[in-house]
Amino acid sequence: MPGEVRIVERPESESSYVRAISKGLGITFKHFMRADKPTQQYPDEKWELGPRWRGTHRMAVHEDGRAKCVGCGLCPTVCPVNCIKLIPAEDENGERYAAVYEIDEFRCIFCGYCQEVCPVEAIHLGVHYENAEYSRERWVYDLARLCENDHPVTALWDPADPSSE
Amino acid sequence: MSDAANQITLTIDGVEVSVAAGTTLLQAAEHAGVVVPHYCYHPGIPSRPAQCRMCLVEIEGQPKLQPSCVFPAGEGMVVHTTSEAAEKARQSVIEFLLLNHPLDCPICDAAGQCMLQDYAFETGQLRSRYAEAKMVLGRDRVADDILYFGDRCIVCTRCVRFMEDIAGDNALVVAQRGHKAYIDTFPGRDLDHAFRGNIVDVCPVGALVHEDFVFKARAWDMDAAPGICPGCSTGCNIEINVKENQVVRTKPRLNTEVNSYWMCDHGRRVLVMANRGVRAEAPMIRRAGELEPASWNEALAWVAEELGGSGGVAVASASVSNEALFYTRTLLNHLGIEGGTFEVEEGAEVTLAGFPKLKLRAERAPNATGAALHGYRRSEGLPEVVDGASLVVLGDALAEAPADYGANAGFFLYIGSHLPPAAGNATAILPAAAVPEMEGTFVNYEGRVQRFHRALRSPGVARPAWMFLSRLLEHLGEGTGVREIGDAFGVMAAGTEAMQGLTWGGLGLRGELLSEAGHPAVAAE
Repeated sequence: MPGEVRIVERPESESSYVRAISKGLGITFKHFMRADKPTQQYPDEKWELGPRWRGTHRMAVHEDGRAKCVGCGLCPTVCPVNCIKLIPAEDENGERYAAVYEIDEFRCIFCGYCQEVCPVEAIHLGVHYENAEYSRERWVYDLARLCENDHPVTALWDPADPSSE
Repeated sequence: MSDAANQITLTIDGVEVSVAAGTTLLQAAEHAGVVVPHYCYHPGIPSRPAQCRMCLVEIEGQPKLQPSCVFPAGEGMVVHTTSEAAEKARQSVIEFLLLNHPLDCPICDAAGQCMLQDYAFETGQLRSRYAEAKMVLGRDRVADDILYFGDRCIVCTRCVRFMEDIAGDNALVVAQRGHKAYIDTFPGRDLDHAFRGNIVDVCPVGALVHEDFVFKARAWDMDAAPGICPGCSTGCNIEINVKENQVVRTKPRLNTEVNSYWMCDHGRRVLVMANRGVRAEAPMIRRAGELEPASWNEALAWVAEELGGSGGVAVASASVSNEALFYTRTLLNHLGIEGGTFEVEEGAEVTLAGFPKLKLRAERAPNATGAALHGYRRSEGLPEVVDGASLVVLGDALAEAPADYGANAGFFLYIGSHLPPAAGNATAILPAAAVPEMEGTFVNYEGRVQRFHRALRSPGVARPAWMFLSRLLEHLGEGTGVREIGDAFGVMAAGTEAMQGLTWGGLGLRGELLSEAGHPAVAAE
């Protein structure tokens, strides 16, 4: 059974929107005058990231440009989400190297285990956040792409406090 | 059974065990459930130089530690394998072995199944006290297909002693002495023995590696299944290592009745090479002159309908399982086809001197005995197909056949895993799982029925031949279809005189002899 409709008459001072708008704009104008403006001019001004920021990967390279990776297979083994594909092979000097090394950054959870487990300090997470791409395929970083990336590498722990105490 | 008077009772790590006189302490410790770390001792190699000093144990009343691999157990002995003195000795041995070891576990193919890695981890010495530069030996090729990484070698001499004691070929020697010692071929000699691959298996570290396997797979990436080598009629027991549904390596599996700890190099290659070839992935039936894919139900019903009982010829491969041969035999009987033939490739025979029962046998197929047992005749070449007669082909028997073989047959039923050119003439193709993709049995040269397990997934909808043949026979009104290999084996054992009394479970991993060969347990039933 529908209830009875009651119409409440409010005074002009409460129902007028002019008053509310001028109050809101007042706050806005007050911020125009602020000395410490929080707005960032993004493409011109970049966000400063902490040293332990865990972003998309990069591969360390030797002086001659070869990847430092020796294809040992520890990172695909330790990776909790199986986002690393590695096919090791033997190069012309008989050394082990990664013939195929791909990281699916969509699948990656940026835990940093790959960097931690790497015995030759080749694969690193990067202090980096601009990852926009035009296609999904571009999110699978191959070895050349990982070697090209030159952003700073992530510090997985605070050097002053290695055991995080 | 050993005589009670020859039994010796001793205590190892607080566990009392009774062993036969002459047993070494290391073997006695195994009875007590204690593993004494060791490198140079290998149960399959008779010589025991006791040179690695890893198995030193403390015996109460003895002034010094003793190598347990050669020290015989004595009545009333009290042995400690983990006492402070023994642990300290072991730790020192590991420290010496690691002096010049490159610690390249991340790129070493033995990592994960390396005795040096295991024991070094166990002793828990995380830092080396050795400050000098390590010796670098680099890599060498000791055989066409075997690489030697001298840096990793601990000179246990298992490989040298395998070649000397078991293979009877002194091709390998220890060159130089002391800390400079390394393994090399004797000057002017090549390591070309047909069983040389075993030196890789006996190597406790990653010093000897098959070139085929270098950097292929990490130990923890591989799955393993027990199998039977399809390389010859010996039927060596093997372990099939698989990575991403590809066979990457086969290793011998201990069966003292057949192959002991060993297998030949021919056998090592067979399954790895079997990754290749064009595979049958779906049933195909010829309608309106064209082979077209069909579902299993459709194909089996169609074949049951079209198969004529007008006689004809049959060819089988000696590399298919007994169950497939048996159900094909039943089908042939139904069709009124007499006999059926199989051909076996022949090669040179090579005997392993130290274990003469193990040979690379001339018959290069695993189940020729089984094929003969199920009524197929050994013959040279393929049988002539009379125009319009039926032709049944089981297994990869047509690999060498001319491309027009069977084109004149009235009904050409091809049951196989691979598709040679001649299979294009078939009236119906039923895709069978290859041997590593199914369970089943082979009968080896001496009549030993041995089980193999499944190591791989089949491509497409290929199924074991016994499975779809039993269903085809059900369509034809003979018996019922079976889904379990144990049932298929049971039906076969009941229908084959020489297999009376054999059970799938009873075969186990060691196999059983056929009753004809006079196996007492079977003959008694």
